[in-house]
Amino acid sequence: MDAAGLRRRAVVLRAMRTFFAERGYLEVPTPALVPSAAMEEHLHPIAAGGGFLRTSPEFALKRVLAEGLGRIYEIGPCFRDQEHGAWHRREFLMCEWYRVGALPGDVMDEVEALVAAAAAALGVPDPGPFERTTVRAVFQRHAGVDLATASASALSDADESWDDAFVRRFVTDVEPALGPAVILAEWPASQAALAKVRTDRAWPVAERFEVYLRGVELANAFHELTDPAEQLRRVHAANVAREQAGLPPNPVDAAFVEAVGRLPSCTGIALGVDRLVAALCGWDGVGPGRVE
Amino acid sequence: MYSVSDIRKGLKVEIDNQPYTVIDFQFVKPGKGQAFTRTKLKNLITGTNLDRTFKIVESLAEADVSNVSMQFLYMDAEGYHFMNLETYDQIALTPESVGDSKNWLIPDMKCEILFWNGRPITLDLPYFVDLEITYCEPGTRGNTATGTNKPATLSTGAQVGVPLFVNQGEWIRIDTRTGEYVERVKK
Repeated sequence: MDAAGLRRRAVVLRAMRTFFAERGYLEVPTPALVPSAAMEEHLHPIAAGGGFLRTSPEFALKRVLAEGLGRIYEIGPCFRDQEHGAWHRREFLMCEWYRVGALPGDVMDEVEALVAAAAAALGVPDPGPFERTTVRAVFQRHAGVDLATASASALSDADESWDDAFVRRFVTDVEPALGPAVILAEWPASQAALAKVRTDRAWPVAERFEVYLRGVELANAFHELTDPAEQLRRVHAANVAREQAGLPPNPVDAAFVEAVGRLPSCTGIALGVDRLVAALCGWDGVGPGRVE
Repeated sequence: MYSVSDIRKGLKVEIDNQPYTVIDFQFVKPGKGQAFTRTKLKNLITGTNLDRTFKIVESLAEADVSNVSMQFLYMDAEGYHFMNLETYDQIALTPESVGDSKNWLIPDMKCEILFWNGRPITLDLPYFVDLEITYCEPGTRGNTATGTNKPATLSTGAQVGVPLFVNQGEWIRIDTRTGEYVERVKK
């Protein structure tokens, strides 16, 4: 923490709220204490008061969307156990927004505009325009592997699942080689989480994109899944994988799964505010902008 | 065994039957995947770098390495002999493991030797050593110009470039990390 860092973060927070207000987004604070948090294999919620601290505001915000609000956002703390490093904290500040009727390309435009607005408020150069490419293309470029056909053993020497081999290769060879401002679309369908999957590509891909700024993963977006049966199937599959890994299953949020069935077509995105400030200010981690 | 959460700079680990030290590490957890720790490692024998990524649930083998202060005694057909200053145990290093350090080794010099599984693998010298010039062309009195060098042979047999004003029989200080002349010293 330092005083200058906290001022920089305040500048970005003000710019973000102005950005959303000008675009007709409603700020909707939702509870941080929830009955069930993550429903993914690799997110580890912190138990508190008979429930959990949220890993993201996604479930609550989707229930708000199902009530008919079309443009909403929230900036607030989220919690993920077992994550700590220069760019990770167990508690961090997340900005999440949803837009009914928007496609992933629309939200790519919007996140680029948000980063530009934050940079302008800070008085630093706009890092955009972002290179827009696919996960398959960057694997071909930086690892020489075609994900559409590669087996787990072609991705990693370790005896592990295809998804773990994919992530290991990604963090070893691909992520360090990414350009300073990149948007990566079309992730493996097996890592779709809450995104729609499309099968009209060379391989099944999730309609998910990630925003990378100076090598730091800044945001993750989904063309949101609106099929509750498919959503429930994925939650169960993640819990089976967790139990096989010796982890406790994450409880199912029935109100959320029901709301998925009433969700209009929309795209949502979650952005790490601490990381945005740090990457724009050129810090080597999130520390200077946080009280800790 | 170490767990991935034990990883820190300077940790000594064994990978593929080679000893490494961690020179940098970072917690990474992209997208929806498993958490990993990305590490940069240096091979303690060859000095080459290795990038490895460990899954958070994996473990790393501990490298049995220790640094021991030893004094150089003498060199003979068996190699370079050193003595442990605490136990008085003696060991011999081969010319290959001593490498270019032979140019700066003088009797009684205190060195650091890294042992791996009880076997000496690397030799670290003090940063500076003072050596006598046993041969060089006569100096030009008053010539303190820098940038012009002449070859000089030292008491260890090593050849270095020295400034023109330095003379045979004088002592000079060498930086053992670069093998370069630093300054003239009075003895």
